[in-house]
Amino acid sequence: MARLKGKNKIRDLLSGYSFMAPTIIILGCFLLLPIGYAIYLSFHKVNLLGTVSYKFTGTANFERMVDDPRLWIALRNTVKYALIVVPAQTILSLVLASILNMKLRYRNFFRVAFYLPTVTSSAVLVLIFMWIYNSNGLLNYILESFGLPTYNWLGDPSVALLGIMIMNIWSTAPLFMVIYLAALQDIPENLYEAADIDGANGWQKFWRITVPQLKPVTFYVVVMGIIGTFQLFDQSYIFSAGSGGPNNATLTMVLLIYQYAFKSMDMGYASALAFLLAVVIMLITLIQRLIFKEERLN
Amino acid sequence: MKQRLSTMLVLMLALVMVVSACGNNSKNGESASPSSSASNGASQSPAKEPVEVTLAGWGSSPEEQALLQQVLDEFQAKNPDVKVKYEVIADQYMDVIKTRLIGNEAPDLFYLDAFEAPALIEKDVLEPLDGYVTPEFDIDDFEAPTINAFKSGDGKLYGLPKDTSTLALFYNKKMFADAGITAPPTTWDELMSVSEKLTKKNGKKVEVYGLGQAPELARQMFMIKAFGGQLSDEQGMATFATPEAEKGLSLVIDQHTKANTAGQPSDVGAGWGGEMFGQQKAAMVIEGNWAIPYIQTNFKDVDFGTAEVPTVNGEKGTMAFTVAYVMNKNSKKKEAAWKLLSYLTGKEGMKTWTSKGFALPTRKSVSAELGYDKDALRGALVAGSSYATPWQAGSTLPTIMNNFNNQFVAAYTGGSSLTDALKKGQETANKEIKAAQ
Repeated sequence: MARLKGKNKIRDLLSGYSFMAPTIIILGCFLLLPIGYAIYLSFHKVNLLGTVSYKFTGTANFERMVDDPRLWIALRNTVKYALIVVPAQTILSLVLASILNMKLRYRNFFRVAFYLPTVTSSAVLVLIFMWIYNSNGLLNYILESFGLPTYNWLGDPSVALLGIMIMNIWSTAPLFMVIYLAALQDIPENLYEAADIDGANGWQKFWRITVPQLKPVTFYVVVMGIIGTFQLFDQSYIFSAGSGGPNNATLTMVLLIYQYAFKSMDMGYASALAFLLAVVIMLITLIQRLIFKEERLN
Repeated sequence: MKQRLSTMLVLMLALVMVVSACGNNSKNGESASPSSSASNGASQSPAKEPVEVTLAGWGSSPEEQALLQQVLDEFQAKNPDVKVKYEVIADQYMDVIKTRLIGNEAPDLFYLDAFEAPALIEKDVLEPLDGYVTPEFDIDDFEAPTINAFKSGDGKLYGLPKDTSTLALFYNKKMFADAGITAPPTTWDELMSVSEKLTKKNGKKVEVYGLGQAPELARQMFMIKAFGGQLSDEQGMATFATPEAEKGLSLVIDQHTKANTAGQPSDVGAGWGGEMFGQQKAAMVIEGNWAIPYIQTNFKDVDFGTAEVPTVNGEKGTMAFTVAYVMNKNSKKKEAAWKLLSYLTGKEGMKTWTSKGFALPTRKSVSAELGYDKDALRGALVAGSSYATPWQAGSTLPTIMNNFNNQFVAAYTGGSSLTDALKKGQETANKEIKAAQ
């Protein structure tokens, strides 16, 4: 009996793994192998152009980070960007979702209209926004007609990152709006009815029922938002034509990694930076999990 | 139960076959290239099949593209055994070329800007051309500075310059006449006073700048040299944070931040100097030969002239930009590639290529024949080549440039003082250079 059982087990295992094999191979080739290779590279000085050589340098690539002023600028820009964009887009998407959840006229039209920016390719969005941000462009025209100061949005280091922030909040909020909208429709109606009987007003209902009920979704939205903002690349790349300028104002972590990898051809250091970015994102996500868990206990 | 086992076996077998088929495919792919190169070798001997040579360059105006196609067609008519495949790399040219060199997928011939040349020569990915050059090719015919830009430290030649341009002062004749200015400025002091007359303001906002500037190293390197400054030393370390360099560069910065009679293209919503000048938002710009056909085709109503760049500190100065054709060291069709290369940079090919004035020739004989030194618009550019600073400074220039530009813009937009900006830029650049060694 026992032997038969063992045989069965092996066969089950075998059939199980053989069905998973395609996925395991694909994931292994295109996900695990590159990750492992990047970690391997991050401990080497790599020369790819001309004579290919891998020289083991231990932690030299990581030590180099401490003394790399451009890395700190990139990190500062990225954190600043995340700190402004994530709360702004989360609040905006919640507000938009709540509005669209009301029984408005033409709300299907608004749902589609609000979602459009997310459907548009980000490269196209950036090009359109670069036209809006032009010194003689739409935004300055509007600012001027209200008597507000105008800026050289593309050339002035103090506002260049802000320009990308505005664009990104506008284009990502609708995506999270759809997620909130789905979650809003899941909140049981009887909670609101009970609140009505207790004499709560609209604001109290929103603050005491809607927001707490949405907490798991908010966690998801914030985590995805942070990961997205930390991986900001295409917008600042197109905005600055790959330079991260003016004056490093739009230099983000991923753009810096790109510059080291494909402009300086320093794959070892670029891999080490990518590794750092992964660690930073993981840490932030862990901290977020702790915060959200704690509140759930309360 | 047995049936199930056999089904599983069949499944496994199918998987193994799929995986091994993939492996076979890649092997076939590898074996394909030697056989194709073997057939190339055969075609160079009497056999007929033409060899395909790939030529890559960055994009340019449709007119220029058509002219290059004309040169290539002429070449193919004369050399039926060589077929040219011309590729345009639209964006981030050097990134693409470097990546393709690593992947062994690079074109046989490609454009190379003088400023990137030392780094690629150092990496040993370019074919030395000394062995190919024949006496008929007449290599001494090239202007010395343009060809020296593509030589390694030990004097080996790695590229043949296809065309060149210096910078000259473009001025709007109508605006000059309206402001009562009769001749273009010849010294920097004159340039500043003229700029003041030409600048038109609406309240506080400048509508027309006297001078359009480009706050970047490629355009300002000669200003560093004007008072005896140096961009970098022999070891490739940045040395631009000196009082001498600052003196020249402050002329650029002060005219923008203090006098407010000069601005950069993005201040008035233009993409680059030529556009700024064409849209009549700057009365003068310092641009190269490429701006002439651009303004003539896109802004037909702008009447403009050119003059040599005004003297700084009593010395003439400008920048020179040269582009060459280089050969990939790993090319499998070097003989055919040289045929094309020697035609493109030979007297005949260069004459056609530069005949319409989109680019200036690097061969003395072609220059003399086309007579650009007497051309009303291009004379100033040709004159500049005798004293121009070539846009090149060792293999570390890309790093230096990136850091200089970032800090220079900070000073240009008033974010920091020029002294601090240069110091910071130099420090960062040198740190990066040291770390990369």
